[in-house]
Amino acid sequence: MKVQRFLLLVDHVSTWCGKASAWLIILLTAAVCIEVFKRYLLNAPTAWSFDADYMIYGTLFMMCGAYTLAQDAHVRGDFLYSSMKPRMQAGLDLVLYVVFFLPGIAALSYAGWDFAHASWLINEHVNDTADGPPVYQFKTVIPIAGTLVLLQGLAEIVRCVVCLRTGEWPKRLKDVEEIDVVEEQLAHSEYVDEESRKRALESVHEIDDAARQRSSTMGAER
Amino acid sequence: MSDPALGLTMLALIVVVIMMGFPTAFTLMGLGMFFGFFALHDASQSWTQNHVFDLMVQRTYGAMTNDTLISIPLFVLMGYVMERGALVDKMFYSVQLAFRRVPASLAVATLVICTFWGIASGLVGAVVVLMGVIAFNPMLKAGYDVRLASGVITAGGTLGILIPPSVMIIVYAAVAGQSVVKLYASAMFPGFFLALLYLIYIVGWALINPKIAPRLPESETKVPVPAWVSRLQQAYSRNMLLTLLRAVVSPARALQIEADGVRVGYGMLLKNLLAAVFPLVLTAAMSWLVWWYVVIHQQATVELDTPAPAAVAQKALPPAANEPPNVAADKVEELGRDQQSAPAASSSDEELQQIGSPELLKGGPATPAEQGPDTSFYIWFWISVGGVFALLAYYYWRLEADQFEILKLLTSSVMPLGILTIVVLAVILFGITTATESAAVGAAGAYLLAIQAGTLDWKRVKESVFLTAKTTAMVCWLFVGSALFSAVFALLGGQQLVEHWVLSFELSPVQFMILSQAIIFVLGWPLEWTEIIVIFVPIFLPLLKHFNIDPILWGTLVFVNLQAAFLSPPVAMSAFYLKGVSPPHVTLNQIFAGMMPYMVVIILCMVMMYVWPGMTLWLPNYLYGGG
Repeated sequence: MKVQRFLLLVDHVSTWCGKASAWLIILLTAAVCIEVFKRYLLNAPTAWSFDADYMIYGTLFMMCGAYTLAQDAHVRGDFLYSSMKPRMQAGLDLVLYVVFFLPGIAALSYAGWDFAHASWLINEHVNDTADGPPVYQFKTVIPIAGTLVLLQGLAEIVRCVVCLRTGEWPKRLKDVEEIDVVEEQLAHSEYVDEESRKRALESVHEIDDAARQRSSTMGAER
Repeated sequence: MSDPALGLTMLALIVVVIMMGFPTAFTLMGLGMFFGFFALHDASQSWTQNHVFDLMVQRTYGAMTNDTLISIPLFVLMGYVMERGALVDKMFYSVQLAFRRVPASLAVATLVICTFWGIASGLVGAVVVLMGVIAFNPMLKAGYDVRLASGVITAGGTLGILIPPSVMIIVYAAVAGQSVVKLYASAMFPGFFLALLYLIYIVGWALINPKIAPRLPESETKVPVPAWVSRLQQAYSRNMLLTLLRAVVSPARALQIEADGVRVGYGMLLKNLLAAVFPLVLTAAMSWLVWWYVVIHQQATVELDTPAPAAVAQKALPPAANEPPNVAADKVEELGRDQQSAPAASSSDEELQQIGSPELLKGGPATPAEQGPDTSFYIWFWISVGGVFALLAYYYWRLEADQFEILKLLTSSVMPLGILTIVVLAVILFGITTATESAAVGAAGAYLLAIQAGTLDWKRVKESVFLTAKTTAMVCWLFVGSALFSAVFALLGGQQLVEHWVLSFELSPVQFMILSQAIIFVLGWPLEWTEIIVIFVPIFLPLLKHFNIDPILWGTLVFVNLQAAFLSPPVAMSAFYLKGVSPPHVTLNQIFAGMMPYMVVIILCMVMMYVWPGMTLWLPNYLYGGG
């Protein structure tokens, strides 16, 4: 199935870029910790450290936008949405992707391109501090991230179309979810009885989905 | 259509589209783009040169360089690492043993663990499911009332979004232009006060009606004591502290003990002695820290102040001021360019004062903390230190083998997490480092703790990193969208229209307070806190000034309010999470019935906070001065 392959390919691109950038958080933690050590203990602060920190942070979250979209992890008001049928969801999403998402993100990529381009032309540096670090590479993140999100958005639109035709949402890549911590905790537990542990481990994802839809059908079935 | 009318259309549209369930960040971006395009349309330019594109990219860049939001990924990472590193079931087991003589001990232990977890992370779903497995079934088996058991888990689970360091507070700080540190200081009180009120409610109910929480049978609360500890006790004395002290001084008898294949070594004795004196060390360290902060640290600062103000400014600045002043200046410039409305300009002025200039901060009246302690502090300090040490003495006097085993369990499960969070919070609150720096140190510390506890592996590192990335991207993209949206909304004059409209009702501050909190409460049913804080709270913020309401107090009330909204049937997600893991005979209605009293407790707490704002604002005012 060609469409599914296209979808997963785009998902892979977004996810790979996102996951690669995600590791910046470790760099950020380390950079701030080192700076704390230098400033408070050695009394030798670094002038450009704050600039470096926000550049790492900004790159981190911008580059993860497409990854988050690929995982459908952007917050939505899913109170009504989650109780709709997939076709209805897809229809609504399709319209809103075309009306709001495409113009908004296209504008961001376009404006970001100009913004970054101007910065490269003047070889812009941070002017808060003397000898500030360059910012043009940081500003370039905006058009790159915008384009990635746009690409992922196109994939989402294709998803909506597929769903409208088949009545079912195409699969996404598997990734870690917040609720997974339950499995981690229970896998090592010593004081929980075996039966309830097994039951919880089996159904934790369904519980998560059911709770988001505010439905208790899960429990009634058992 | 006039501009303000366009603004209102925009507001109405956003509500509708959010309810349709489209990712909110992109809705905001798209709406902002369209309306901004019309608002800034200039017939003399080609449409590709429309200023809305500049506005958009400037606002995005503003979110990317936001010095408040930068601490979000770090705190989020700390939370994800902690919740993977901590051993919740072991914590629950040891806390439950420690409280075994208290009425409704299992419920109390659940509440304590939920509060602890709340410090570590802010995930409602995960904690409710986890506590549902670990605590709910034991409570039901012990014959607890279903409503009591379900209420404590759902109410305790939602505490996490309130108790600092919480991401919600950082986002509010960024939206309202307030200092994160002050908000943390003011949320400390309601967070723990609410936990205390819950505790009083549970214990009180169990005392009045002991049937709802039967005492656990003796066999379940019996603490397993290793054979070598009993032998050691026989050899020296019943009191474990004396036993260990004497064993360390004259180890001859101890070293001969061999029970159940365990051979007592000298290192083992030392380690156990360390665990035994741990509470003493901790209490001493805490008292000394308070003493150091209030007496020594302040006086040293005051003495330095006279000869070299510059040096002090470096040292005594509240955390937010450590950022380079230019960032604030930049922000003002940017805000000034983007928004012509009066409230925005005034709020950016405030921001400048708050962040930008050490001179202004030092020029104002000294904070109570800087004026040095008065005599009442000394009296209270010594009375409380005396009291705590008397309690400790009593504890050590009664320290027998089973108590000692509980202590060891507690030190291995609860203490590491507890110490890390206390250190992170204390360092932020005392203004020693900025919130961002503490968050980074906290995240690094969480990794170290997880390594020490032996719970860290490559898979978990990866998970924590990726989850952090997704959560940060979710919150910050929402911020990018709302930055554009609110700029266009203000540009169209929608904000002013709303203001005039609200002011035309001539509400009293109390009425406005109740009205605004009621609206937020209702919004809390269908929406998540991210959307409420980022989209709807900014509409109220400029109005606060007209009614002379402190944005810190108002924000803290919003945080508490959202707790109640997330507990209100029939929309509360936590109830559905609990239902998912509970045995079939527990009905959803029973869970809802269990949650209701906690909503009443929260509303009671809000009334108290409003009637005595001093309770909430005492800590921030004490640490950082009024205003």
